[in-house]
Amino acid sequence: MLGQTLAIARNTFREAVRDRVLYNLILFALLLIGSAIFIGELSAGQETKIVVDLGLSAMLLFGAFIAIFVGVGLVYKEIERRTLYAILSKPIGRGQFLLGKYVGLNLTLLVNVVVMGIGVMLALLYTRSGWDPLVLKIWPAILLIYFELLIITAVALVFSSFSSPALSALLSFFVFIIGHFSTDLNGLSNSAGSAPARWLFRALYYLLPNFSNFSVITATGHGMNPDPRAVGGALIYGVLYVAVLLSAAALIFRRRNFK
Amino acid sequence: MKMDLLLVVILIVCLAGAAAVTHSLTQHQSDVAKTSIEEPLYLNGRTARRMSLAFNGLAADWYWMRSLQYVGRKVVKFEDEHSGQFDLNTLSTLDLRLLPSLLDVTTTLDPQFIPAYQYGAVILPEINTDAAIALLNKGIAANPSSWRLHQNLGYIYWQRKDYARASEVYAAGAKLPGAPAWVAAMAARMKADGGSRNAAREMYQQLSESSGDPSAKQMVEQQLARLDWLDDRDVIRHALLYYQSHSRDGHCATSWRGLFDEFPDTRLRFDSSSGAPLDPSGIPYQLINGGCDVDLNSSSKVPR
Repeated sequence: MLGQTLAIARNTFREAVRDRVLYNLILFALLLIGSAIFIGELSAGQETKIVVDLGLSAMLLFGAFIAIFVGVGLVYKEIERRTLYAILSKPIGRGQFLLGKYVGLNLTLLVNVVVMGIGVMLALLYTRSGWDPLVLKIWPAILLIYFELLIITAVALVFSSFSSPALSALLSFFVFIIGHFSTDLNGLSNSAGSAPARWLFRALYYLLPNFSNFSVITATGHGMNPDPRAVGGALIYGVLYVAVLLSAAALIFRRRNFK
Repeated sequence: MKMDLLLVVILIVCLAGAAAVTHSLTQHQSDVAKTSIEEPLYLNGRTARRMSLAFNGLAADWYWMRSLQYVGRKVVKFEDEHSGQFDLNTLSTLDLRLLPSLLDVTTTLDPQFIPAYQYGAVILPEINTDAAIALLNKGIAANPSSWRLHQNLGYIYWQRKDYARASEVYAAGAKLPGAPAWVAAMAARMKADGGSRNAAREMYQQLSESSGDPSAKQMVEQQLARLDWLDDRDVIRHALLYYQSHSRDGHCATSWRGLFDEFPDTRLRFDSSSGAPLDPSGIPYQLINGGCDVDLNSSSKVPR
């Protein structure tokens, strides 16, 4: 069973590579090289902070675009090409198929994030003309970015399991934005006048993904180490939330009629 | 093949045409752009922070660079209009009205951005002291363990000649972990003789050592050069007075030669050809008022 899931994952990864998804790395490299060379003249001694902020922000943004735009097409493309029927006619469950697709895209994102992380390291070494502690300190932030991307991919998969790619992309993008406003949702739930409004905001706060748990880019730029308990908590939260989303996607997908 | 060539020609010609039109439009709009540079910011710090999602650090970097560019552009413009003469004393004439807002947005987006507070502490007191104090108090609230921000706030109060408040701020900073011993010494000095030149020198030396921003550092070093010039002036005036009182008819010095023979221990540096003492920027001082007084040369880089 695991072998079949991994086979789907491997094929999804190959497909992403064939679709030139990893070409975004070239743009990322150009962005980092440009910032490392030119930003120093404009930043008055803040080169390393800017390289980290720019590098990690670009990593999150590029990753989110890949997660959303590739994620929403994972299922749809298989249906449109009718390859899904061939796959599901074999002894592979629908949930298993979804899981394989999800793991495959995450493998693509992992390669993307690791290569980008190495790029940020090299840019830091170039900017400092030698060793800088930030070279190692960026990795907890990169891990958290990756986990945020895992959630975004799962969100895209849930929407794509019942909706068209365009609508799924739009909804996933909304979730990405709202997920970064979760602190405000909590604030609204505390300050709203009426009880139903308070309950609504409180429910949204707990139901929607809380991406502020994963936002440590700014602190990393200052060379601060994130609190290990907070990182651990965010990782556990990420795993639990992904499990919820994948279960929801599988439930919907299992009931979907392809006739 | 011919078609390909035609398409390439169209591509190049149209691209060049588009660039030419853009260039023409940019020149036409440059006057409008000059006025828009002073338009108030669309977003306040809190709104900008909300809208920046997880990218608040990057947005803070953007506003930080914008602050530097804003000041830089004004300095360049001033230097163009005044044949290259700019020093810290002329900062107040630059009309940097947007700088408090730019630094406020920068530090709201990234409250741990210590260099932005330090930059504000050096530049803003020349424009708006209250805005400088508000910025530093905001910084201390967001970074309560940073003794450097106390140092910067103390500097602002000292500039305002509020030595009692400066002493209090330094004393508060001295209690923080990692604060060097001179912070406590500075608290005592502010209380005892905050208005003295020695206190000023110490203040600027510490600021120069702690500032990471090259432009702020340069401005602080100019102030140190100004203090050196004031010290030099005291020594030279003493020598001129000595010369005048020991001359037969009480006339003032006509040249620098022999003026300092009675003061061999002076720390002044001298020009080898004219014997004139050199100011901190290496330019010879000039005699004024018929040799009875001394002043900086017009080409000196030292601020008055």
